[in-house]
Amino acid sequence: MRRRWAAALLLGVPTVFLLALFVVPLLSMVVLSFWRTENYHIVQEWNVGNYVTLATGGAYVTFLIRSLVMAGVVSLVSILIAWPVSYAIILYGGRYRLLLTLAFAVPFLTGEVLRVIALQGLLGPLGLINAVLMALGSAPLRFIMYTNVASAIGLVYLYLPIVVTVIYLSLLNFDARLIDAAKIFGASPLRAFVEVTWPLNLFGTLIGFALCFIPCLSATLAPRFLGGPNGTLYGMAMAQQFGESGTWALGAAMGVVLFLTSIVAVLLVGMRVNLRRTGFTGLGRG
Amino acid sequence: MKPLQPISAAASTPDIQDGTPRTGISVDRRDVLKTIAAGALVTLAAPYVRPASAAPSQLRALMWEGYLLPDVIAAFEEKHGVKFAPTFFDGNSEAYNKLRVGGTKDFDLVQADGFWPSLYYREKLIRDVDYAKIPATEHLFPVFKPAEFKLLTDAATGVDFGVPFCWGSYGITYNTAEMPADKANSIACLFDPAYAGRLSTSARFEENIALAGILVATRMGTIDKPRPNGKPFNPYDLTDEELAGVEKLLIEQKALLLTRYQDNATLAQLLESGAVIAAPEFAQVYRQLLAKKAKGEIDTTFAHTLVPREGGLGWVDTWLVSSGVPDGAMLDVCQSFIDTMITPETMKKIALASGCSTTIDIRSLSTPEEQALYLMDRTGELSKMYMFDQPSSTEKWERVWSRMQAA
Repeated sequence: MRRRWAAALLLGVPTVFLLALFVVPLLSMVVLSFWRTENYHIVQEWNVGNYVTLATGGAYVTFLIRSLVMAGVVSLVSILIAWPVSYAIILYGGRYRLLLTLAFAVPFLTGEVLRVIALQGLLGPLGLINAVLMALGSAPLRFIMYTNVASAIGLVYLYLPIVVTVIYLSLLNFDARLIDAAKIFGASPLRAFVEVTWPLNLFGTLIGFALCFIPCLSATLAPRFLGGPNGTLYGMAMAQQFGESGTWALGAAMGVVLFLTSIVAVLLVGMRVNLRRTGFTGLGRG
Repeated sequence: MKPLQPISAAASTPDIQDGTPRTGISVDRRDVLKTIAAGALVTLAAPYVRPASAAPSQLRALMWEGYLLPDVIAAFEEKHGVKFAPTFFDGNSEAYNKLRVGGTKDFDLVQADGFWPSLYYREKLIRDVDYAKIPATEHLFPVFKPAEFKLLTDAATGVDFGVPFCWGSYGITYNTAEMPADKANSIACLFDPAYAGRLSTSARFEENIALAGILVATRMGTIDKPRPNGKPFNPYDLTDEELAGVEKLLIEQKALLLTRYQDNATLAQLLESGAVIAAPEFAQVYRQLLAKKAKGEIDTTFAHTLVPREGGLGWVDTWLVSSGVPDGAMLDVCQSFIDTMITPETMKKIALASGCSTTIDIRSLSTPEEQALYLMDRTGELSKMYMFDQPSSTEKWERVWSRMQAA
């Protein structure tokens, strides 16, 4: 009896929390997306006009494509940086492993806005990089001043710690004796990595990819402060609908599209990977 | 006086539910749950429930951050025994959205500019104010008194619903060594390919479209022609042809911009460094740069075009009282606060802190340089400006802005 109560409590509280703070707002967003706005007024007339606008407006498709490309590139770059870093921590970190991993979380002790503004100072015309270059007599690097490259640098900076932590945790639970076994059977270090280490840590890598890709899709701050005139991404355009333009219904439709896009992206990745071979144990015995 | 009955005595009342009298404490689970639920409800509701006659304990304002003066606020809090709780916003539309979704119950005081207060009043988001209860209004420049300044008076009833406190334009600040004054005197300088990569504009979509709209209407020759709505030209009410011209112009401008600045600090840095040589702004950055120049911190000379030759955008910031404020003590505190904020001494501090021109005559407190810098003798130019307004169709304007951003 007591166990039943405990189970009900442990599962019930998070369920109520998720229903109240995730499912209900999401449903209200879906409903709002089928209404329309007129000069800051919500008109409760059921229609698909917002979705038609998104599909045919051109601009919104452009924002989505820009965001998909940006999120994909940023996630890949983050994975490429995070893997050697995590691997090095595992191999050479010794008793400081945890400390080194936690060091990556230090930037999270400050707010995201502060970090982006600090980066704006670093990459901008008066920033450290360009100031040093100009002091040395070189021309400033215009491609890092208010461009999509600057946005990408900002997003990698924002989400790299998450990716490093996830891959580190994956490697921490990986049995390194399997690499020794592969080498004993004649595999080169590269082959042991490609055929043993990488596939058995692929699930952790995919989690890291998803945890970077999804927030990048809806990124608002980095493109706003770093992106420049050509740097508008989907999340920034969506935030605009809920802010100054007051076109909430269109913004809600953009949110629904973003939600569905994120799910499809995760499913596509999931469908192409054999989870049982990636070190994932959540499916039970096959 | 009858002493209170001890809890233990109440609890020891015999319980005869099951027919067997019992003494001692007996607690029913349902009663406990009911008590906890009632207690929780009362705790949750307490901050929102108070009798109408109670003295106000909090004054909640929806305002621009730049007008916050901590020392003045602290003195007001002490004098009136209320806690001042500000919430900040950037653009009028953002504040309007907040008010519309129940904000009249969340805020007592509101700030807005241009035509927005009259929209708020029409939609019953704000209420009337009594100038007699705000004696500092006697220091308003004549052009801002209700007799001349009609934007804060309801035409039908004649009641006043706002008090102006700062004013300015959305003029052009420029580097005099890089851009000649005759060029900077036209909105066209912000679209001139000769300055590619060295221009910047704000990220505010309404003002970008409206300013470009003045230039487009001037070039199309429609600015002085009769309008479809029968009213004089208003850059916030553009025809579809004018909007198409604006979109084309803004797309062309995009290639010329280094960035759209998000805040005054960024713009000041860009202008100081020489990365940007001209940008439209509220003259606040211009005044900061002049102050730096006077102190010898920078060498560059900047100037500011208040009203370009095609016409410019202007604004008058106002204090308003939310419609959620009832007559009585709360209204008195609100009006008292407005009065405190617009006294000449406070307005002088606000001018220096925010870099804005004041609607209150503070010439007796200012040096000749300050009088020139804060345009104290140029209040008459307000009549040449188009006041900040609500776009005629936010949906159409949003499409124009999005297409420009995606182009």
